[in-house]
Amino acid sequence: MENYIVEMLNITKKFPGIIANDNITLRLKKGEIHALLGENGAGKSTLMSVLFGLYQPEGGEIKKNGKIVNISNPNDANALGIGMVHQHFKLVEIFTVLENIILGVEPNKMGFLQQKEAREKVMDLSEKYGLKIDPDALIENITVGMQQRVEILKMLYRDNEILIFDEPTAVLTPQEIKELLHIMKEFANEGKSILFITHKLNEIMEVADQCTVLRKGKYIGTVDVKNTTKEELSKMMVGRDISFKVDKKEPEVGDVVLSVKNLTVPSKTHKNNAVKDVSFDVRAGEVVCLAGIEGNGQSEFVNALTGLEKPSSGVINLCGKDITKSSIRQRSIDGMSHIPEDRHKHGLVLDYKLEENLVLQRYWQPEFQNSGFIKFNEVRKYAERLIDEYDIRSGKGSETITRSMSGGNQQKAIIAREIDKEHELLIAVQPTRGLDVGAIEYVHKQLIARRDAGKAVFLVSLELEEVMNVSDRILVIYEGEIVGELDPKTTTVQELGLYMSGAKRDGIKENKDGE
Amino acid sequence: MENRNILKNRISFKNITQSSGFSSFSSAGMAILLGLIFGFFVMLFAIPGNALAGFRYVLLGGFSRFGDVFYFATPILMTGLSVGFAFKMGLFNIGASGQYTMGMFFALYVGFMWELPSSVHWIVAVIAGMVGGMLLGLIPGIFKALLNVNEVITTIMLNYIGMYLVDMLVQGNSVMYISTKTRTNYLPSDVQLPSLGITGSNVNVGIILAIIIGIILYIVLQKTTFGYELKATGLNKHASEYAGMKGKTNIIITMVIAGGLSGLGGAFAILAPSAIAGSSMTYEPINIIAANGFNGIAVALLGNSHPIGIILSSLFISHIQRGGTLASLVGYKPEIIDVVIAVIIYFSAFAMIMNAAITKFIKKKFRTKSYQQEVSANTEEIDTNETSDNDTKEAE
Amino acid sequence: MDTIYYLIQNMLPVAIPLLLVALGGMYSETSGIINIALEGIMLFGAFFGALFVFIVQNSGMEPQTILLLGMLIAAISGSIYSLLLSFASVNMKANQVITGTSLNMLIPAVILLFSKMFFNSDGITTNMNFYIKEIPILSKIPVLGEMFFQRTYLTVMIGFAFLIVAVIVFYKTKFGLRLRACGEHPHAADSVGINVYKMRYAGVTISGILAGIGGFFYSVGVMDGNVSGHTGVAGFGFLALAVMIFGQWNPIKILFAALFFAFLRTLAYSISLIPFLDNLGIDQTYYKMLPYIATLIVLAFTSKRSRAPKAEGIPYDKSKR
Repeated sequence: MENYIVEMLNITKKFPGIIANDNITLRLKKGEIHALLGENGAGKSTLMSVLFGLYQPEGGEIKKNGKIVNISNPNDANALGIGMVHQHFKLVEIFTVLENIILGVEPNKMGFLQQKEAREKVMDLSEKYGLKIDPDALIENITVGMQQRVEILKMLYRDNEILIFDEPTAVLTPQEIKELLHIMKEFANEGKSILFITHKLNEIMEVADQCTVLRKGKYIGTVDVKNTTKEELSKMMVGRDISFKVDKKEPEVGDVVLSVKNLTVPSKTHKNNAVKDVSFDVRAGEVVCLAGIEGNGQSEFVNALTGLEKPSSGVINLCGKDITKSSIRQRSIDGMSHIPEDRHKHGLVLDYKLEENLVLQRYWQPEFQNSGFIKFNEVRKYAERLIDEYDIRSGKGSETITRSMSGGNQQKAIIAREIDKEHELLIAVQPTRGLDVGAIEYVHKQLIARRDAGKAVFLVSLELEEVMNVSDRILVIYEGEIVGELDPKTTTVQELGLYMSGAKRDGIKENKDGE
Repeated sequence: MENRNILKNRISFKNITQSSGFSSFSSAGMAILLGLIFGFFVMLFAIPGNALAGFRYVLLGGFSRFGDVFYFATPILMTGLSVGFAFKMGLFNIGASGQYTMGMFFALYVGFMWELPSSVHWIVAVIAGMVGGMLLGLIPGIFKALLNVNEVITTIMLNYIGMYLVDMLVQGNSVMYISTKTRTNYLPSDVQLPSLGITGSNVNVGIILAIIIGIILYIVLQKTTFGYELKATGLNKHASEYAGMKGKTNIIITMVIAGGLSGLGGAFAILAPSAIAGSSMTYEPINIIAANGFNGIAVALLGNSHPIGIILSSLFISHIQRGGTLASLVGYKPEIIDVVIAVIIYFSAFAMIMNAAITKFIKKKFRTKSYQQEVSANTEEIDTNETSDNDTKEAE
Repeated sequence: MDTIYYLIQNMLPVAIPLLLVALGGMYSETSGIINIALEGIMLFGAFFGALFVFIVQNSGMEPQTILLLGMLIAAISGSIYSLLLSFASVNMKANQVITGTSLNMLIPAVILLFSKMFFNSDGITTNMNFYIKEIPILSKIPVLGEMFFQRTYLTVMIGFAFLIVAVIVFYKTKFGLRLRACGEHPHAADSVGINVYKMRYAGVTISGILAGIGGFFYSVGVMDGNVSGHTGVAGFGFLALAVMIFGQWNPIKILFAALFFAFLRTLAYSISLIPFLDNLGIDQTYYKMLPYIATLIVLAFTSKRSRAPKAEGIPYDKSKR
């Protein structure tokens, strides 16, 4: 019998209508890095949340050092030495770094905080592992990278020996990822045990000792990373061979559809501008992708483009018309379609019926209303056509309450609505976020189809794979500036990474002036 | 074969319990039930011997005062529509009281100060009341839309401002106000609303107008682009903005309409004809916020902000209020009904959740039974509809 | 100078209830619960405090002792009443504004019912006098002594004590840190093992205690010890909310906001004593509207940079993290 520090045996966790973890077993040895691989929705985070005490499983047991333990909340997990860096950081923005680290285990005398004591311990840890932080900075003012270091220090401060990292590299630059992986190895060498959730095969090959694969809530298997290949892992993960390459022909580039000149957008969270002096064109028949790490001004840029935010200076032209000051509705009429980043926040009224959501951009057009009264028959007919044409699946057809639909089908509804409406420019912001492989393929195909139909497509994406495969031109945004324009055919992921992390940049604006 | 029937039953049961109309109706019923039970205990505590008799009055007394039930329902129906309409847009109009008082003042002013042909006098007074309410609704609308000030606080403040202002204006007007009696003068009879002629009751055309307005609002909400925009904004402000709806303008329009509805309530109340010849309704400027505004919140909540629901709930509230008045025959104070109403709102604030829990519980029982008889292979097919996006998110 | 002394002496007993209740609102909102029921809780506290005073007023007990005991009763009753809000908004995840509104409606009705049944009036009338002519030693300090320690109430000292406690609790203790985390990012608090439900109960209960005391102090310092179901606390609970917003959820700023509002109100009720304003001949009602109008104006200017707790008003659902 081997010595496992943590064993999760036959764990089953159900949510209404879905079995998130179905009889899953995972064993972690001391000092090992154990990767947990699976697609979105495979149940990785759920399994880790069970281990961390955030969820109670319906079946199965957890053992620590061979003894059955009961973890009913994060305090229990902490007492057992289990710590977790969540995918979405759990940091209080208006607190300082130090306050966030000590929250929950505050050193105190009679309830009074002893910050000095805490500060010494935090600074020692920070120095020991090279995790640079400013203890008195407010979370809202520091970079995502530093926020992650704060999350790691939170675990170290609690003397955790079992560290869970939930997709820690998603928000980091390639260089920061390298540093993180290095630190993880260091932890493992010291005897800490690491559970590493990811869907990036390269990272697993680089650091992990073991890898457990989940698919749709089911346990697929555990392999020794030394004796496996990326291809094999990929096959286990998706269940079939899948080519990430998108089939597309050469673009037939036409006239300029979107032209942005010297656009500057102020930030809502800090005093600097979020978007600084950005200029570029998008032509008919091409896919231009704005690539960058999350939080480098993409959201503000898109908001200014679509009219949700006001730029402080600069000009936006759509099909030769100045739309800088136009209303959102006017932009839509002028040929702008927008697949928003957050389909729940912006894209849909979740408590409306599917048919009502399908006319969200068009309900006011004469086709659907007569002197202020909505023609519900027309709406129904239209909705049924879109449902049929775009294969939107739902329980009760056009009358389904949108909230009850799956994420993939909600996204299909948005895409159908935005594509079917007359447009010259399609803006798609992270259109595949949170979707499964099948749905991602569908979205990519639709984007390419728009391009081939002679429309201009402007894609904003964080996924390197998507950036490389779908786009015809790549613009890299870093701290609100366009730092490079790349051709996906000639560039490499590594080079793209250097641009995205600000390590490399060209004077793109000067070069392009001649065009 | 038998199994299949059970399955069918289950599905139809689910359809009923899942329809939103059913759930809001049953949760309102539950809130009312709990409120009434609470009221019964208060009665039992106050005068144990008369509790049953008193409670009978509360429940059934209204039926013997049919006209009065409709008469007293009129103003709270209007304030209820006001609160409910704003709520559809996601705005909480606690200011119905102030708007109501303002509407009342405008109606009074036209009634006393304007010389008009008697055939249109009351109509102009009613419209003036609406305008008065609209003005007071406009302010929080502008504050919310342009300055992003939460409407809850502004409407509360405007309740006080409106009340002080009206009291001052009434007291300062010697035509309207009799200082020796600390109330307004009797209104000329041509400004009073036409009575419906039910003996012993003040019930008048106000209730008919109010119900018509309720139905119009229903049509506006369900059938028009404005209603579509309004509900979309109330359900998801961000999506409505994304879709290019004019959120700010809509906020202002909604608050103005809500104010107008409350103002009409005030006008209907003060212009009501009196059953006693030569008299009329009067207003006492004693620095108190109008209770009909707050009762409108109760009416709106109980009616789930749905115009038709509000019509029904205003009649219900008026019904038990009449019953409460009658309960004084056996020694109870009418305030007991205010207590019951407050308790009903308290419960209706989470009745939906309570209701969902109970429905789930019943369904579970139902389901475990059928599962035992059913082949489990069928389950997947049925459950797919329930897989919501939230669930898949959780499973990531 | 006498006018200024007069204004300050009269302003403080008005400012203290506002301060206490606004601090209460701050505790509740920083834990994540909007407490619009402050008005009702105040009235509830005032009612039981006054009821206690009514019962013991002829027992010959020392007035200041009665005041302290009354305060205790008001605090307990306020905290009990606030449990209705915590239950609805924490356990039942109800809409906090609606719940608060129902609690505000319930209390005047209960008081009227009770008073009509037992006193045959609209409220409770007491004949106790808690006024302190001068506090020994301290009142002899020049200027300040006359301003703060003459013709005053014990409530003023107690109010300031609560303020100091609030500052310390908020920024120097474990409890304060955790409370603020719950209103700002409950999921983060939960993930480090803080029980969000308990902290929210704590926040609302403290607000209940403070609002109860604030209500009692209002009846002592503003209403001469009386409570009426009709006029209630005249919107002081709502004004306190405005004070809290104006004070940006910060205890010290809340103090200044409370003083500002109290000053306006005192001014409104002392017009006849101030020759300059009296001579203007403006209807006194305008001055009565002043605090409410000031609130509107202040909100118009502060709302853009409002720093309300991020998670306030949103029920915390464990299963949705």
